Amino acid sequence: MSHLQWSIKYRPRSLSEVENQEEVKEELKSWLERWMNGKPNYKAVLLNGPPGVGKTTIAEALAHDYNMELLEMNASDSRRLNDLKSIAEKASTSSSLFGEKGRIILLDEVDGINSRQDAGAIPAIIDLIEGTKFPIILTANNAWDPSLRELRNVAKLIDLKRLGKIPMKKLLERICKAEKVICDPKGIGAIADVSEGDARYAINMLQSIAEVYRRVTEDLVKELVRKKERTLDPFETLRDIFWAKFFWQARAAATTSEVDYELLIRWISENIPLQFQDMEDVFRGFDVLGKASIFLRRAKLGDWDLLSYVFDLMGPGVSFAESSKLNGSWKAKWVKYQFPSYVHLMSKTKESRDALRSASEKIAKACHCSTDKAINEYFPFMRVLPLDEFSPQELKVIKGIERESETKNGERQQQRKNIRSRKRT
Amino acid sequence: MSVLEEALWTEKYRPRTLNDVVNQKEIVERLKKFISEKNMPHLLFAGSPGTGKTTIALALVHDLFGENFRDYFLELNASDERGIDVIRNKVKDFARTLPGKDVPFKVILLDEADNMTSDAQQALRRTMELFTSTTRFILACNYLSKVIEPIQSRTALFRFYPLKKEDVVARLEFIAKQEKVSYDQDGLDAIYDVTMGDMRKSINLLQASSAYGKVSVESVYKVLGLAKPKEILEMLNASLQGDFNTARSKLRELLVTYGLSGEDIIKQMHRELVGNNLLKIPEELRVIIADYLGEAEFRLVEGADDDIQLSAVLAKLAILGNKYDIGATK
Repeated sequence: MSHLQWSIKYRPRSLSEVENQEEVKEELKSWLERWMNGKPNYKAVLLNGPPGVGKTTIAEALAHDYNMELLEMNASDSRRLNDLKSIAEKASTSSSLFGEKGRIILLDEVDGINSRQDAGAIPAIIDLIEGTKFPIILTANNAWDPSLRELRNVAKLIDLKRLGKIPMKKLLERICKAEKVICDPKGIGAIADVSEGDARYAINMLQSIAEVYRRVTEDLVKELVRKKERTLDPFETLRDIFWAKFFWQARAAATTSEVDYELLIRWISENIPLQFQDMEDVFRGFDVLGKASIFLRRAKLGDWDLLSYVFDLMGPGVSFAESSKLNGSWKAKWVKYQFPSYVHLMSKTKESRDALRSASEKIAKACHCSTDKAINEYFPFMRVLPLDEFSPQELKVIKGIERESETKNGERQQQRKNIRSRKRT
Repeated sequence: MSVLEEALWTEKYRPRTLNDVVNQKEIVERLKKFISEKNMPHLLFAGSPGTGKTTIALALVHDLFGENFRDYFLELNASDERGIDVIRNKVKDFARTLPGKDVPFKVILLDEADNMTSDAQQALRRTMELFTSTTRFILACNYLSKVIEPIQSRTALFRFYPLKKEDVVARLEFIAKQEKVSYDQDGLDAIYDVTMGDMRKSINLLQASSAYGKVSVESVYKVLGLAKPKEILEMLNASLQGDFNTARSKLRELLVTYGLSGEDIIKQMHRELVGNNLLKIPEELRVIIADYLGEAEFRLVEGADDDIQLSAVLAKLAILGNKYDIGATK
């Protein structure tokens, strides 16, 4: 069984292997050849199309076919101006385009540029296009986004079609054959239906079924394949994480969840003890999730690059905490997942936590200490004192909620009497 | 004095001037020199809790500026001020107003400074330098090692040591007499035995035990029993017996109802582990647990989530409990 994602393994290397995009291929070839002849009509092209139609693949295949180096920058990785500027510099200063090996610059997912966070990125790309000595390919899911208006003026827009059902089925059948997977035409058809022309999605679906069952039938597809264009709800996310057989599956589940990572960590934490039977697995799950929470904290302090590891640990880390997964006989256990009780508890206890805070602030101010110290050093001893300076709610939290009923009433009254009589003397 | 300050003996009997401070004699002598010269460097007070750092800082500014010392004095607590920016802004606002006539500077007390990250301390260092002509800093910390060297080198260091037994007991006797509380000597000795020279804790314990009519060994231990959340031991036992869910609900009570931080909970678990015979487990298991508690606290300091990291601890305890057959003995 291959551990490589099939959508990568079976990616076309050459334009001739790219299905269903004949016009695009011709247009790109003539554009590049004009560049090679020194008189390009456009310095840049903008490949526009929905996910999984092959924008990046085509750019890579083009570079491969013309034996050129692809200088790639994924706009959703890093859009910092400096990076763009350094690429622009390389692009405008290099002396000869075809001296040794030519270059194509690829700026992937330019519509991922956030106009507020990455202010100045679009003008920097325009500068890059104007000064470049190399052909530039931009890609976008939606080139008609208003923020890309100026880019549309300087780059030739090329629309990519979605992969039709027939070429999609051909593609999937070819992979099945190569991977020796038993495939039912109806099953393949069902995948092609839901994939809506997204080859990457279709291949991933195929692999997720085939890797486990070694066959693809209509029933399996109907049961296991979700319609796309929808993020996973928390229950689906958990199932995909815990049931994943591959790193990338668990990771994809964590990254495509509709719950944000902060809440997702609570969901996972709640359900680790439900999903795992073995306490060793439970421990490993919490341990790795604890590590994820450290990276998350660091990320929120500004090191956003660390978020990547948060997903690694939250998804695959937790998924493979289950040691029996390594056994051939492992089968995913069906679990009724629970809403995180910690979140529930926090919202239910908001009032008493507020009272706790205000009481600790009163003590902190009076006693020249931190609120943390108030809770740890003063509250424990104040439990047995009658205190008139606090609201009933604050008193309740200082004294500990059930402790109140626990201490015998008679004893408590006796204490009060002692104190009163002392005050009188 | 506010009602609350009147009600809590630690405040009511906090020495107001350096002359009232009965302890830390050498420190007091050195500080008195600053007062007579009306000048002082930045100060760094390091020492364990309840040894008089804050008290002496307050007494020092009282003696420097007189009764209206609050006009020339800013008190900040690094544990509660959120981030260096808040501290920087407060310092800036405070430093903007002019100092008084007699003393050419104002004083900022930054308590629990060792709770700041080293990055924040670097920023603090620059802030200290920026306002050095008009302000002096007193930094107080428990652990000198957690204060970055550039700050250590720019401050005059004063080390505070735990109070001696006779000093603690004498102070407790004084307070008990003032408050007309009956006590016996063994009770006061017992207080020192558990607080080990931490004056704040000693006075708190005195006051709480006095609520039982008399400060005696019995009432002191009664308070100690009540003062610590019973959930800590219950949580430890439940997890060692493999009852993870019960242990986890105790954990949540500690976090939410008691408002304890993850680090506080680990420290209290550690206390049960080393200083208590209520936890019945083999000695070598204590060592293994201590090792893991240390690891967990380290993670929490690094920023791990309280609920998650402590759940990992409970699962670990369940594994160890099973290995050492703890559940079977019950």
